[in-house]
Amino acid sequence: MSQQTERAAAPLLQVRDLRIEFRTRDGIARAVNGVSYTVEAGETLAVLGESGSGKSVTAQAVMGILDMPPGRITGGRILFRGRDLLAMAEEERRKIRGDRIAMIFQDALSSLNPVLSVGYQLAEMFRVHRGMSRGEARARAVELMDRVRIPAARERVNDYPHQFSGGMRQRIMIAMALALEPDLIIADEPTTALDVTVQAQVMDLLAELRREYRMGLILITHDLGVVADVADRIAVMYAGRVIENAPVADLYASPAHPYTKGLLDSVPRLDHKGGELYAIKGLPPSLMAIPSGCPFHPRCPQAQDICRTDRPPLYPVGPGRTSACHFWKETLDAASAADLAR
Amino acid sequence: MPDERPSDESRAQAARPPQLAPEERAPRGPSPSIDATAERDPDDVLAAQEKSAVEALEATGRPESARSLSSDAWHDLRRNPVFLISALLILFLIVIAIWPGLIATRDPLYCRLGRAYEEPSAGHWFGFDNQGCDVYTRTVYGARASIAVGVCATLGVTLLGAVVGGLAGYFSRFWDPVLSRTTDIFFAIPMVLGAIVFLSMIKLGSIWPVVLVITVLGWPQIARIARGAVLSAKQNDYVHAARALGAGNTRILLRHILPNAIAPVIVMATIMLGTFIVLEATLSFLGVGLRPPTVSWGVDISAASDGMKFRNAPHILLYPAAALSLTVLAFIMMGDAVRDALDPKLR
Repeated sequence: MSQQTERAAAPLLQVRDLRIEFRTRDGIARAVNGVSYTVEAGETLAVLGESGSGKSVTAQAVMGILDMPPGRITGGRILFRGRDLLAMAEEERRKIRGDRIAMIFQDALSSLNPVLSVGYQLAEMFRVHRGMSRGEARARAVELMDRVRIPAARERVNDYPHQFSGGMRQRIMIAMALALEPDLIIADEPTTALDVTVQAQVMDLLAELRREYRMGLILITHDLGVVADVADRIAVMYAGRVIENAPVADLYASPAHPYTKGLLDSVPRLDHKGGELYAIKGLPPSLMAIPSGCPFHPRCPQAQDICRTDRPPLYPVGPGRTSACHFWKETLDAASAADLAR
Repeated sequence: MPDERPSDESRAQAARPPQLAPEERAPRGPSPSIDATAERDPDDVLAAQEKSAVEALEATGRPESARSLSSDAWHDLRRNPVFLISALLILFLIVIAIWPGLIATRDPLYCRLGRAYEEPSAGHWFGFDNQGCDVYTRTVYGARASIAVGVCATLGVTLLGAVVGGLAGYFSRFWDPVLSRTTDIFFAIPMVLGAIVFLSMIKLGSIWPVVLVITVLGWPQIARIARGAVLSAKQNDYVHAARALGAGNTRILLRHILPNAIAPVIVMATIMLGTFIVLEATLSFLGVGLRPPTVSWGVDISAASDGMKFRNAPHILLYPAAALSLTVLAFIMMGDAVRDALDPKLR
């Protein structure tokens, strides 16, 4: 019991200075270079970033489904309720996967086995982790399908994945992740493969169920619109690092990193109709050759000499906020001024 | 007027919902007389459209029952004449292999030298062989040994090959180098030559030494195919998903990978079955396979195949050889049909 209270004191998930590289024929790609973030129980953390910023790789490392090789974790710790997942035996970790930490994948069609019925795949969760009988597990599967609002769940439990629409398939993925009422769900771009109206439904469902079960949620996305409604905190990633970490309202009101500001400015707005869309110039850096100093400096409109030489640490910029920019103060002030003017 | 495009007036009418139908009915040249029908038509037309839409939905909507890859394949196969013909043939062959007495009432080992080389006649459709045995009866009874060798060897080869190939593909980091090189070594042994060497060392008689030799020499082909299929099935997202949801190696391999990787193995096994039947005949012909008194097509072909006998009494050779060819053809046709149905790339 005392152990349990001790664990309850520790945050749900803490990623500490995680480093991951991939050995490829052309050299070593440093996909994750010291990522740290924390998710408290019941909190939603959005991890935001372009493709290749390391957000999915970090999540795969947390789940323990990183392909190794070519991937390799070269440093850092992943603490789940204070216990280091990376130091655990494989068998122990497997018991946590799906049971305590579950994942929702981007493309539900390819993430469901085409030759097994969805009912079987849902029931499998209960049979593997809970040792339930076939019939009992099947009944729970129907219950779950009802939960995620699949119409006529009882009739559709024996259908195969390709017989469901995209939104329904993603609901089934959500049902699978929720099955054992985990403490933490990692959703890797759960709505990218869906059209906009279905996106909203699926996000609402996910948010609602998260509240109901009081789970922590890591929402990996590059869609700023999705984030605003659902997340409590945002971690913005760039070139394998978290460059800004802030409560969602603060970040939207006044970004403290030029990259975040660029991201927010590049969202199409209705009141700017007809105007040219803002784009951050340049391309994300190659992970084989990450620029010296601040990795964002080649694309940064405010870059100074210090940015080319010194890597900015994560400066505390406010209550619960950090930013990895030497000129966070200037950025923040400019953003606040612009916010006031608006 | 009748050939003109619809006038502005009619287009304006068409823009109003109820009048959409008349424009469809009379796309060109609306005349004032049509307006009268247009007043009552829309409801009928809409009702008809709705009805046909409902019918279409009922006809093409959700399939009545769930269809997996295998039921999809079965659906395709039932309509494939190649499959139907080969399936009927194989069914027939299996039935006479189990109950040869159904169509052949004589004893295949009852021979009278006095009737040797006799031509086919009313009571003895295929004639008599050099020993005076009834060729028809022997051909019917020969199916048992040939098919038993084919089926057992295929089972052995598939099991061994799928296990080795599957493990090599799934645990590719550790086991693949070892298992793949082992596969290569066995692959390098020529089948017939290897079988002659092995079989000439053991006491012959039953079908089991032949089955064993074919299994030992035949599995590498299946292993290669199984390894490739598992390697590609392993990359699928649902395998990652299953792992992320806490499934262990055994469950992933048996439940998630095997059903998705088995199709090419089934296809290969069906085609190999035919070749194994030929191989048995070849070995028996060479005198190292089955031997009399075992009745098999290979044994009979061997007995009938010296030039003099063939010139004098070709029927002794032709009937068992034709039975052999037909059997092999049936299995190869079956393999082709199954491949067409199971291979998603050929769809």
